[in-house]
This record gives sequence, C-alpha cells and structure tokens, in this order.
Amino acid sequence: MENRKIYNRIGALRKERSMTRVELAEKIGVNFQTIGYLEREEYNPSLDLAFRISDVFELSVDTVFSTKPLKSLSQLLNKKS
Amino acid sequence: MEAQKSITSRRIGVILTFASLAALVILFEYCKSTQWTPLFIALGILSLIVLGISFALTFVKSGLWGFTHKALKKLDEREIALTSKNLRYAYAIFSIFVLLLLFIFALTETPIDMLMVAALLLFAHLLPAAILAWTEKGM
Repeated sequence: MENRKIYNRIGALRKERSMTRVELAEKIGVNFQTIGYLEREEYNPSLDLAFRISDVFELSVDTVFSTKPLKSLSQLLNKKS
Repeated sequence: MEAQKSITSRRIGVILTFASLAALVILFEYCKSTQWTPLFIALGILSLIVLGISFALTFVKSGLWGFTHKALKKLDEREIALTSKNLRYAYAIFSIFVLLLLFIFALTETPIDMLMVAALLLFAHLLPAAILAWTEKGM
C-alpha cells in the first residue's frame, strides 16, 4: 500500500524554540538524523512518535501534522490581516 | 551537492570492496589450477590491501557496518524500517547470486573451497550495508 505524504511543522517549531536537532531527538528518543528526515517530510512518523513530537511542542497532533500541505505562519498572518 | 559527492564516494568504495573481493577469489581459483607466480602473489596481496582499506573507509569508518549490525532496541523506528528494507533486498540479491554461482560450479564440476565460502559469508554480511551506502543520501 502506498503511504500518503504527511506534512509537518517540525522544522519551524523547532527553530522557533531555538532547539537543535540533537536536543529534539533526545527528547523524543530517536537518532538526530531521523529529525532531518521528518523535517524534510521524507519519513512519515508512527502515531506514537507523532504524539511524542506534539507533546514536546505542547501542541495538538493536528497542529503539527497534516495530510494537506501546511501554510507557513507568515502566510497565515497575511490571510488574517 | 555535498550529499551527492558523499553518495558517489560511497558507491566507489562499495565497487572497490566487491571488486577486490571478487579479484581475490578469481585469483585463488585460477592459481589453484595453475601455479602461484610472484606476479599473482603480488596481485593477491594488492587485492587484499584494497579490500582492507575500502572496507575500513566505506563500511567501518562511515558507521554503515555498525548500523546494519546494531541490536534492534538501539535503533529508532525509521532506522528499523530502513534496516528491514535493506535486509530484504540483500536477502534477494544474495539468494539469486549464490544460486547462480552454485549452478555454474555444478555445470563446470568445480569443487567449492573454503576461500569461496569465506568470501560468500563476507559478501552476505556486507550486502545490507552496501545497499544502504548505495541508496541512502542522508547516511
């Protein structure tokens, strides 16, 4: 079965919190290279890993992950104003 | 650009490792039926040196050998998926290769010696890491 691509905001959220890939990797218990794969959306995380990532950013899973391309924060702000 | 350069050098390393391993076996098989002349001894030693250096640089120093030989509990979910995919490919390639080799040896009525068995064992252990080195850009 072909997997759907899962889009995410991990890169933006990590930078917003001034977190390195190694720090995030340690918090969620994966290799730091896996963070790179997740940020480039080259790997779809399991539900468990998605929850662990969302917990680190204290956000809901659907805020961090989506099956549709996510808009950047500047795009969202422009839309509101 | 850097990733492309890295994957190219890893692919060259994989080719050198397997080519030197094959050269060593072919040389041994050939000299078994003829004679070990100084030239063949020198070629054998050269193949062994190339094999050792390319194995150390491409597989050991890059961490690929360690990655494919790590315990499952030390890998994360992406690494487990990646290792599983590579092992499946390696299993298929190794099976076909050994079957073909056995077929050729049976047809030519050539006995299989210990060096061939040792080379095949090394080949089997190298194959998952070689597939990883060949295909993964981010390693």
